[in-house]
Amino acid sequence: MGDFSSVLHLCEGDQHVIAATQHLVKALGSSKILNDDLRKILSQLDSHLSSMNIITTESRGPGFREVEEQFRCSEEKIMGWESRQSFIWDCGPLEASQYLKSVHDIQTLVEGFRSLSVNEDRKHKELVNRAESLLQIAMSKLEEELIHILVKHKQYFEPEYMSFRSWRRDVVYDESFVSVEDIAFEEESQRNFCGSESEEYILDLVDPHVIPHLKSIADIMFASNYHQEFCQAFISARRDALEEYLIILKVEKLSIEDVLKMQWDSLSSKIKNWVRAMKIIIRYLASEKRLCDQISGDFGFVSPLCFADISKVSLLPLLSFGEAIAMETHGPEKLFCLLDMYEVVADNLLYIDTLFSEEAGAWVRIEFHELHRGLADTARATFMAFGNAIAANGSTSPFPKGAIHPLTKYVMNHISTLTIYCNALNVLLKDHDTADSNPPENGHSSSSLTYGHLACRLRSITSTLEFNLDCKSKLYKDAALQHIFLMNNFHYMVEKVKGSELRLFFGDDWIRKHIVKFQQHATSYQRATWSLVLSLLRDDGSASKASLNEKCRGFCIAFEEVYKSQTGWSIPDSQLREDLQISTSQKVVQAYRNFTGRNSSSIGDKYIKYTADDLQNYILDFFDGSPRSLQNSRWKEPAWF
Amino acid sequence: MRATDNQGSFLNRISIRRNQVVSMDGNHEQELEDLDLFQKHVADRFSDLLSSTSDDDSVLSIAWLRKLLDAFLCCEAEFKAVLLMGRDPSQISKPPLDRLVPEFLDRVVKALDVCNAAAHGVESVRHYQKLAEIVVAAFEQKPIGDGQVRRAKKALNSLMLTLEDKEGSTHKSAERTWSFGRRGAPSNKDRSTAGNFRSLSWTMSKGWSAAKQIQAMSANLVAPRGGESSGLALPVYIMSTIMVFVMWALVAAIPCQERNGLLTHFPVPRQLGWAQSMIVLQDRIAEEWKKKKEKNKLAGLLEETQRLERLGLSLIEFSDSFQFPGEAERLEEVAAQVSELSEICKKMEEGLVPLQQQIREVFHRVVRSRTEILDVLDQGGKMSAPTM
Repeated sequence: MGDFSSVLHLCEGDQHVIAATQHLVKALGSSKILNDDLRKILSQLDSHLSSMNIITTESRGPGFREVEEQFRCSEEKIMGWESRQSFIWDCGPLEASQYLKSVHDIQTLVEGFRSLSVNEDRKHKELVNRAESLLQIAMSKLEEELIHILVKHKQYFEPEYMSFRSWRRDVVYDESFVSVEDIAFEEESQRNFCGSESEEYILDLVDPHVIPHLKSIADIMFASNYHQEFCQAFISARRDALEEYLIILKVEKLSIEDVLKMQWDSLSSKIKNWVRAMKIIIRYLASEKRLCDQISGDFGFVSPLCFADISKVSLLPLLSFGEAIAMETHGPEKLFCLLDMYEVVADNLLYIDTLFSEEAGAWVRIEFHELHRGLADTARATFMAFGNAIAANGSTSPFPKGAIHPLTKYVMNHISTLTIYCNALNVLLKDHDTADSNPPENGHSSSSLTYGHLACRLRSITSTLEFNLDCKSKLYKDAALQHIFLMNNFHYMVEKVKGSELRLFFGDDWIRKHIVKFQQHATSYQRATWSLVLSLLRDDGSASKASLNEKCRGFCIAFEEVYKSQTGWSIPDSQLREDLQISTSQKVVQAYRNFTGRNSSSIGDKYIKYTADDLQNYILDFFDGSPRSLQNSRWKEPAWF
Repeated sequence: MRATDNQGSFLNRISIRRNQVVSMDGNHEQELEDLDLFQKHVADRFSDLLSSTSDDDSVLSIAWLRKLLDAFLCCEAEFKAVLLMGRDPSQISKPPLDRLVPEFLDRVVKALDVCNAAAHGVESVRHYQKLAEIVVAAFEQKPIGDGQVRRAKKALNSLMLTLEDKEGSTHKSAERTWSFGRRGAPSNKDRSTAGNFRSLSWTMSKGWSAAKQIQAMSANLVAPRGGESSGLALPVYIMSTIMVFVMWALVAAIPCQERNGLLTHFPVPRQLGWAQSMIVLQDRIAEEWKKKKEKNKLAGLLEETQRLERLGLSLIEFSDSFQFPGEAERLEEVAAQVSELSEICKKMEEGLVPLQQQIREVFHRVVRSRTEILDVLDQGGKMSAPTM
């Protein structure tokens, strides 16, 4: 016993120094202006001082027996739990704090022994050995407790809840253009939710009430130099939780080969899920980072290391799927899903940079940037390919009835959906071309969108479309039908632009010009169809009865022929159809009325087959899309209306 | 030495030459010269890799693997130059390239998955490292007592378990305890030995197998014969062989999902000059693999892993027989082993993350090349279409 005392003995002077220093440390520790590093140093110093205290105070006189007594007490406590199946923290805070106190005592003792010079004495060494051994047992137990608490109190959030910030309804990725139609547009203003580390963005992945427990385990394990065990256990438990959550989010582990071979319909649903999972997982990661900071933030570089190790490989399936999608060149109908993927990565890129700002997270940061680049390239290429695809869309036979070509519908619906992705596309296209440098003088009423990169591209796309439609119109033998076709299609384009966000991109100027365009085609149609027919009614000076009769008859035959063909033509837009019918009526019926009125005495009744009102009614049958005929039913019988 | 030494000048030469002579007949001869040069560079790089195994870094050490990936990146850059730079796209859409290039691209896709698996596998190796570091931390604390030994043994058991867990396909329960060190150990502490240190789950879908992937990559790998052997079919073949070799070496070295039945041989004609060193390396690695397979230990041939395993076994033995305060002689031995272990950990700490990043670099590079080749194929297809 005396041997121990001599080893552990400190002279009284030392005692005072220790007491005074301890006092000072306590006073400093209560100060609020300390930074974390300083605070940590102070707490280490404090624990060191108290360990010296235990040894020194107890070593005086009969005190060493008390050290042994205390040791035995702690040993009993710690070993007592070894034979029990239950978990300490499950048995209430009192048990836990008692256990922690025992461990702390042992740890202080060990610490004290270690800091003193090593004595070769066998008994002394044996006591150290016992203490170290006991400490190891306690650390092992604490490690189990740690995992148990992490597993038992982990919290998941319903993906629906996690994604409540989703900012717009999903675009339907479909190859058919019909379903793309009438997609609702929402304001862009709802975006921009990320980038700010707002508290509500972060959730509790572990029940908040166990955080102090976890923290206390971390503190004692770190203080005992068992930080590696702590980190391994913590990382392992949290990584399992993340992997479980990825399963909940239906993130599958697919090889790139699988993805490249996948059919589009199953791929599109996986892409949708990927976008959703990505949004959620970024939120999850932010929460994970906070958890790491809460538990191990006091230990310097440890927290970012843990965070990076938890996240790194678990993100690999998500990243790899993105890479696989970015690897393929896609048809224009797949642009939307590419843009969705691009956006979710682009929108969160800065945030990822912040989350993984430390060296340990460099890998994740680099991978996200690579993915961002890959998706950007592919999305841009796909977008550019769209214009080429329009130019290349050739036809060999005229489109029936002069109606609206599917290509027109497709292109217009496609680009109106593209406007949802305005921000992303403007960024993507920025590097690729220069915007209209000289906006027209009268452009003051247009928004700035009109001169953005996307707007330029969109206008160039519609120009390509117009050019293509022009080529398609040449396939009609009937010049009048060419004009109906172009009028229909241009009208459709104008309506689509006017009725959607597209108007902001195309501007009033474009709309005005294109209204003029389709109106010109309407006029041209009338000229092409009716000039010749109406010329039959022209007064050429010869007022002979026979020639007038012949004129009238010729007109009726010509009208019947026009009727026969043009009732089969189609103007799908009822307003446009009515307008054209009315203006045609005004022209034709008026001319006919004048002619018959002027010559009513000369023309035989049987030659006036139709009254002006008849013609007016017949014209209402025009452009209905179902060819009819006047000839057989009506020519032989006189008027009967 | 860095494998990039002569690369810049080579690429310059090709680009300058191609710009000068686009469609003259003399082109062919110069193309032959380019091919020769490419083969020579490949041969040089692999002979460097072979000779560097004799000094500090043995085959399949982390440092060597990094050199191997460097060599791959260099060969790949030159290959792309030979195949694409300044070339008329229609050339690679003609037979036999119209078949060989798509086959090559198929291999590329498979290589990407292997890269993913290997990058993930490196994470497993980092896990070994962390466990070994605990062993070092425990034993470095003097004097060594029961506490330290138990601490080390717990980490060693986990290490052996995770090493074993990476063997083949069988996903054994992680709860099973490493059977080696049970003798006389106080057993109530063993209940948690492995649970906390579970190894990582795999990254691929269930049926995915690295071994099959390598098999498929080498399946239709045939050296061009006759007239083809002087044309572009040759560099495509060379690059394919390099790719298969590199991916195979990665799979052999690093734990990867399902390596049962990994090839130990893929045919590279012995008479080809550029392949000599590669064949020697291949034989050497295959030999190692066979040895390990017999012992049924497939944690990977990575040199550092193997050394961990060896030291781990020895230290477990020590731990099992340890009685406080231990014999001085034995303790000295252990101290030497621990310092070796510590040195390996340091190597791992320095090399594994860069290796992982390099594997990703290979991944991204190969993706980009694939896109470029596809673009050219696309152009070539369009150009040759009207003539059909």
